[in-house]
Amino acid sequence: MNSAIEFDPEIRQIEQEIVEFFAEKASEYTGRHPIVSMVMSYFYIRRSLTQRDLRKLTGFSAGAISKAVRQLVDMNVITREVIPGTHTHIYKMETLPFRSPSYFLQTEQTLETVHKELGEIKESLDAHSDEMRSLEGYKKVYAIVTHLLKQISSVPMFMALIEEELDKFIKQEKRKR
Amino acid sequence: MKSNKKASSEEQLRLIEQRLVEIIANFGYLKGRSAKTSEVIAYIYIRQEVTQQLLRELTGYSLGTVSAVLQDVEKLGVVSKQPIPDARGYVYRLAGTPSQVLSRSMADFQGYLSEISGFLGEVEAKLSKPSLSKKQGYSSLRRFLDEINVLIPAYQQVLQKFQTMRLDSRQERVGAANE
Repeated sequence: MNSAIEFDPEIRQIEQEIVEFFAEKASEYTGRHPIVSMVMSYFYIRRSLTQRDLRKLTGFSAGAISKAVRQLVDMNVITREVIPGTHTHIYKMETLPFRSPSYFLQTEQTLETVHKELGEIKESLDAHSDEMRSLEGYKKVYAIVTHLLKQISSVPMFMALIEEELDKFIKQEKRKR
Repeated sequence: MKSNKKASSEEQLRLIEQRLVEIIANFGYLKGRSAKTSEVIAYIYIRQEVTQQLLRELTGYSLGTVSAVLQDVEKLGVVSKQPIPDARGYVYRLAGTPSQVLSRSMADFQGYLSEISGFLGEVEAKLSKPSLSKKQGYSSLRRFLDEINVLIPAYQQVLQKFQTMRLDSRQERVGAANE
């Protein structure tokens, strides 16, 4: 079973340039692991791929590919399905992750849970402040917990604003065309 | 008796820090960073100043691993490295406060966007060769370009809007302080 259509050599060359550019830039900019970054970039163009397709396209080992797709599923940028009548998985990217930058808010680690957990950490730091205050590191840990609590409550609002603005702009562009 | 109590609160603080590291590292993982890089960055965010030896003790990774990860973290601009006076080795410091590191990444993002749009221009030029439009795979590239060609200017506009908003609110604050 080979779901990847063979691209024309000239097209394939351009594809490789695009993938390499985005993979390298994303790694540079976000610290994304180079293999994860490369695999993610192939999905921008191919949209549906099996692990075997990815091995063929990237040349990475089966183990590396399997680890990368698992992380991308966890990141909520691709989904995993079974190809009917087989035991093979196919991974799909429905929309470019740039289209909806809050994709990571819908992951397993929801901000709500993190917020709750950070709140508990803060409570326990407060409860033990008499014994802990003099310890090296207490202030630093405390500062980060408070900072994160503040940040996390504003992230969903900020993301909603960005998406609203993106939607407006994209609709405008579509009308122009 | 007293020293026992101190030891146990130290342990407790260390456990709290470990939980915090897990939380922060998971955000890194969701950005696509490797687990090791994410963990090291989490410790740097909290401790703000680390050495290779300290990271080795905290994470349990080998010195080789720690040193390789730190090189990547340095390239990302998260830390700056300085030699330790009168000793061997380096101290790695968080480049600014955690919120400064975040707002700097907003500024970098603009540069990133303009690099992308420059590159996409080159790709369009290559793809405009008429003979290519009937070739296998052309429509996949076309679809990607059509989508991203709308998204990049959209991001540029959104970013600009946010910066004006931030500037406005800063000026308002200055105005209020003067009154």
